Amino acid sequence: MRRYLSHPFWQGAIVVVASYVAFEYVIGYVLPVIGVASAPVPSSVIVEYMLIVLVGVLLYMSADEERWQRFREPIRATMVQPDRRTVRGILMVAFPVLIGWLAYERVKPSYAAPATLRAVHPAPPNQLTFRGETIELTGLENPLREEGSMEEHLAVGKRIYVRNCVPCHGDLLDGQGHYAQAFNPVPADFTSSGNLPQLTESYVFWRIVKGGPGLPREGTPWDSAMPAWETILEQDEIWATILYLYDQTGFPPRTWEEEGGHE
Amino acid sequence: MKQRGRALNSQLRNSFSYGGKSMRSHFWNRSAVLLAVAAMAACGGGGGGSSEGAGDDAGEAAPAAAAVDPSTVGTISGMANFGGMVPTMEAIDMSTEADCAAGYGADGPMAQNVLVSGGGLANVFVYLSEGVSGAPAASGAASLDQVNCRYTPHVLGVQSGQDIEISNSDNLLHNINATPTENRGFNISQPRAGITSTQRFAVAEVMVPVRCDVHGWMQAYIGVVDHPYFAVTGADGSYSIANVPAGDYTMTAWHEEFGTMTSSVTVTAGGTAEASFDYSGEMMGADVPMGEALVLEHGTNRIRVERTQ
Amino acid sequence: MRAPRGTGIVLLALFAAAPPALVGQQDAAAAGKVVYDRWCAECHGEAGQGDGSAAASMLPRPRDFAQALYQIRTTGSGQLPTDADIRFAIENGLPGTTMPGWPNLTDQEIDDVIVYLKSFSRFFAQGPAPEPLDFGSDPGGGPAAIEAGAAAYLTMLCEECHGLSGRGDGTSAPTLEDWRGLPIRAADLTEAWVFNGGSSVEDMHTRMLTGLDGTPMPSAIDAMNSGVVSPDEVWQLAHYLASFGPREMPPLREVIRVGRAEGGLPADGGEEAWAGVEAFHFPLSGQVVQLPRNFAPTVDGLWVQGLHDGIDVALRVQWNDPSNSPDPNWDEWQNKITAALDLDGAEPIALDSAGAPTVRPPDAVLLQFPFEMPEGTDRPYFLMGDAREPVYLWTWDSETGVGAARGRGLDSVEPLAEDPVAGEATWEEGRWTLYVRRPIEVESDGLDFVEGTPTPIAFQAWDGSSAEVGKRSSVSTWYYILLEPPASSTVVVTPLLAMLLTGAFGLVLVRRAQDRRRDR
Repeated sequence: MRRYLSHPFWQGAIVVVASYVAFEYVIGYVLPVIGVASAPVPSSVIVEYMLIVLVGVLLYMSADEERWQRFREPIRATMVQPDRRTVRGILMVAFPVLIGWLAYERVKPSYAAPATLRAVHPAPPNQLTFRGETIELTGLENPLREEGSMEEHLAVGKRIYVRNCVPCHGDLLDGQGHYAQAFNPVPADFTSSGNLPQLTESYVFWRIVKGGPGLPREGTPWDSAMPAWETILEQDEIWATILYLYDQTGFPPRTWEEEGGHE
Repeated sequence: MKQRGRALNSQLRNSFSYGGKSMRSHFWNRSAVLLAVAAMAACGGGGGGSSEGAGDDAGEAAPAAAAVDPSTVGTISGMANFGGMVPTMEAIDMSTEADCAAGYGADGPMAQNVLVSGGGLANVFVYLSEGVSGAPAASGAASLDQVNCRYTPHVLGVQSGQDIEISNSDNLLHNINATPTENRGFNISQPRAGITSTQRFAVAEVMVPVRCDVHGWMQAYIGVVDHPYFAVTGADGSYSIANVPAGDYTMTAWHEEFGTMTSSVTVTAGGTAEASFDYSGEMMGADVPMGEALVLEHGTNRIRVERTQ
Repeated sequence: MRAPRGTGIVLLALFAAAPPALVGQQDAAAAGKVVYDRWCAECHGEAGQGDGSAAASMLPRPRDFAQALYQIRTTGSGQLPTDADIRFAIENGLPGTTMPGWPNLTDQEIDDVIVYLKSFSRFFAQGPAPEPLDFGSDPGGGPAAIEAGAAAYLTMLCEECHGLSGRGDGTSAPTLEDWRGLPIRAADLTEAWVFNGGSSVEDMHTRMLTGLDGTPMPSAIDAMNSGVVSPDEVWQLAHYLASFGPREMPPLREVIRVGRAEGGLPADGGEEAWAGVEAFHFPLSGQVVQLPRNFAPTVDGLWVQGLHDGIDVALRVQWNDPSNSPDPNWDEWQNKITAALDLDGAEPIALDSAGAPTVRPPDAVLLQFPFEMPEGTDRPYFLMGDAREPVYLWTWDSETGVGAARGRGLDSVEPLAEDPVAGEATWEEGRWTLYVRRPIEVESDGLDFVEGTPTPIAFQAWDGSSAEVGKRSSVSTWYYILLEPPASSTVVVTPLLAMLLTGAFGLVLVRRAQDRRRDR
C-alpha cells in the first residue's frame, strides 16, 4: 500500500480520481446532506475541471526529472514488458472503447433540458424603490423589532403568510405548498439552514418586495415565479411576514455585523 | 351563525330556481302520498295529519294513543290560513330524469315551497314548544319516501329517537343527505327502488334539512321534537293533534318560507282547543330558523324567533 | 358571533369535576392548543369552525371541527371519527385540498392536538366514537375484478355525479354542494393522487362504505346491505376505480419529445393517430402571482403529445374540465363559485334579473413560446412575457377556436396579423382534446423550431364555467419542447472513428516504445 502511495504515478491517479469524485458527487450530493446549500455540477463544467486537474498533475510530475522518470515507469513497463502482455492487451481494447463511449455520449441526440446555472442567493442591490419610495438596504434592520407588540406583528405575519404564501411555500414553510409541484424551480424551503439563517432581514425584504421580476439581469434565467409583493402587500405587512418566517422556523436572521465580518 | 343563515338561504333559493307556473299540484292526488301522510300522522302518537281521512288510520296505527287515559287529554286543532296573493311556484326541470318527469301531468312538476288550497297552507310543521312536561316514548316508525324524484312527505315530523324508514320508490339513484346541526347527520345512497334505510335523530331539532345531491331540486324537512304533540298541516291547511294532556302550552308553527309563529293554547280534558296561524304572501323571505334550539319570546301572533347562542 | 359552544362545554366539564382520568386529557388539550394555535388556527379558526383568515380563498373550505363532520373516517355515515381516523388525516393531509400532511409534528403532538380538536365539538362529549365498520377483505384485483367493478359502477349509478369516464362530469355535477351550501366538485376519478382520503384500493373501498360526510358523496353501505351490490362487488368497484389512472401524479419530465411522424402527421386529435405517442404531464397552479389571483383553479394539469414531419409540428393537448363552457347548465355553479370564492379584487360577473350570469366565459388554453429565440438560456417572463421580451402564444378558446398572438404580459395580448397556427378542439365526457399545428419555420415571425434544440414552452388554462377569466387562470412555468432530428450517421460514425484513432495511436505508441527498448 505504502509503495503505491509514495509512487508518483499512483499519486497522480489518486488525485485525478479523488477530484472527479469531489466534483461529481461531493459538491452536488454530499454538501446538501450536511446542510450546505449546493447543487450538482453540470457535466460540461466537470470536463473542464478535470482537464485542469490533469494538466496540473502532468505539470507537477514533469517539473522534476527524477519524479517524471518514476511517473513514466509503470506506463512504460506496461507498454513494453513481455510479462505484462495480458494487461497491455486489455488496456489496448478498453481504452479505445472508453473513448468511443465518451464520443457517443457527446454526439448522441440529447433530450435533456439545457443545464442552467443558478446562484442560490444573488447579490442584493444597495437600495430599492418601494412603489416609488427609495429604501436603503445596506444596514437596514426590520423596523418592527423596535416598535409595537411582537405578538401582534407575528399574528399579522402569520395571516399574511397563510393567505398569500402557503400555496407555494407550504403550511410547513418547507417549500411544498399545494401548488409547489407546478413550479420549476420549486419554491424556497424556509426550513433549510441554507436559506433564512444565511440572510439578513433586509435581503429577505428585497426578495419579497421585488420577487422574480426584480432579480438581476445578469443571472438569468431565474425563472422565479415569486411575485413582486410590493404590488400586493404594504411594507409593514412584509416586515411582519419576515418576523413570522424567522419565528416559525426558529432561525435567527443574519446580522449586519456578521455580514461585515464576512467581507 | 351568519354563515349558516346564508348557506340556508342559498339552499332555499336553489329549490326555487326551477322555473315556475301556478301552484295547482297533482301531488295530493297520489295515493302514495296519502299513505305517506297516514304513516306520518301515525308516528305522531295519533296527532296531526291532514283532514283528508288520514286521522282514522292514524288512530289505529298509533299504540301510544291507546294507552292514554281519555279523561285527562284533549285535542288541539286548527288551520294554517293563507290570505292574499299566492306566490307563484316554479316548475322543476326534471329533464335529466325522464322517468320521474313522466309521473307528472301536463303542467309538469312544481316546486312545493308554498302549497295553498282553499285558503289553507300545507306543510306547516306545528308543535308544542313550551309547557310539555313528560311525554310517552316514541313508538312506531315514521316514513319518508322518494316518489318521482320528490320527497313524500315534503315536511315530516318525528319524535326524537323514533325510527325513520326512508325508502325509494324510484328505480334510480337517490342519496339522502340529512344535514342537522344538533344531531348527527347521514348521507346514504339508494341506487334503485325497494331499498329501505332506517335512521334516527337523538335530540329535538326544528328543522333538519334533507337533500338529494343527485337531484338538486329534491328537498325535505324533518321536524324533530321530544314529545308526540306535533303535526303537519294537510293540503287544506288543517291539522289536529289528539291526546294532548290538559294544560297551558305555547305552540309554534314553522314554514320553510314564512319562518315561525307562536300561539298560546289551553287544552282541557275532553275538549278541543283551537290554534290557527295566519300567513300571507308578503311574508315571503322571512328569516327561517333552522336547526338550533329555539327560544321564543311570548306575545300574540307572529313572534320573532331568536336562536340561542 | 356564535361562541365556541363545544369548547365551552368540554372545558367546563374538564375544569369543574376533573377526576384523575380527565386531568391527563386536560393537559393534553392544553398542549394540543399550543400546537393548534401555531399550525392550524389560521385556516381552521381559533374556535375550530373552519373560518380562519385564509378560509375564504379555499374551496373546499377548512373543516369545521365544531360540527365534527369528518370526511375521512372508518365509521358509518354521520358518525364521529375514531382518533386513528383523525390521525390519518393529519399525517397524510387531504390531497387535492389545501390541507397538507404534517410530518413536522411528533406523535405526541398529534395525540394532543386530536384531544384539542375533539374539544371543539359537543358531540365528542356525548360518548366515544363508534367502532370502525367491518370492511371485509379484498377478494383480489385483476381484469375480471375490474370488469365486475365496472358493472357495479353502473349498478350504483356512480356516473350520475362522476361521469361515465370518471372525470367528474356527471349530470348532477353542476348542482353539487357541500353541507355549507358551497359548490363542490365530484371527484375526478382519473386523478387518484388528489383523492382526499388516499389512493389505495383499501382507501377507496373505505370511502365508498363510509361516505364523505359534509359532501354529497353518500355511504354505499345500505345499498350493499340491501343486496344491490355484494360486499365483493364493492371491492371490485374499488379495483375498477384504481384502474382509471395512475395512483401517483405522473413524474415531471421537463422536455416534450416530439418524434418524427412516420407516414405523415395526424390530421386531427383522434385517438388512433395519437395512440402510442409519448404523453407528457404538466401540473398547473392557480395564477397566484398577480392580482386578481386564482386560489382554486379547475384545471390542475394537462397532457401534451407532439409529432413533426420536418415541415409542420402538431401537438395534442388534453385536460380534464367537467364543463363544456359556455353551458347554461353550469350557470348556478358559476354563480356559486363567484359568491363562494375570494375573487381577490376581480369584478364578479353580473347577473340578469332572472339570476342568470350576463357573461358565460369560454374555456381556453394557451401554449406559450418565446417570440424570438433568446440568447443562451434566457427566457421571457413566464406569465406571458413583458414589454421587453414578448411571447408567442398559440391560443384556443371554445368560442373563437385556434389563433396566434403576441403576449407582453397578462394584460397585453394582440392577435398576430399573419396567423400560421391551425387546429381544433373537441370536448367529450369531461375532457378537452386540442389539436394544434404550425409550420416549424414561419417567415413572418421569429419562432422557428430547430430540430434537436430545445425550445421553451409554457401553458395556461381557463374554465369559463368557474368564472375563470383574465388573470384568474391556471399556469405553468417554463418547460421545453424538442423536435427529434432525423436519424444521423454521425451518431455511429463519430464514436467508431474515435475508437479506431485511439486504438491506432495506442498501437503506434506501444510499438515505438518496444522498438526503442530493443534498440537499446
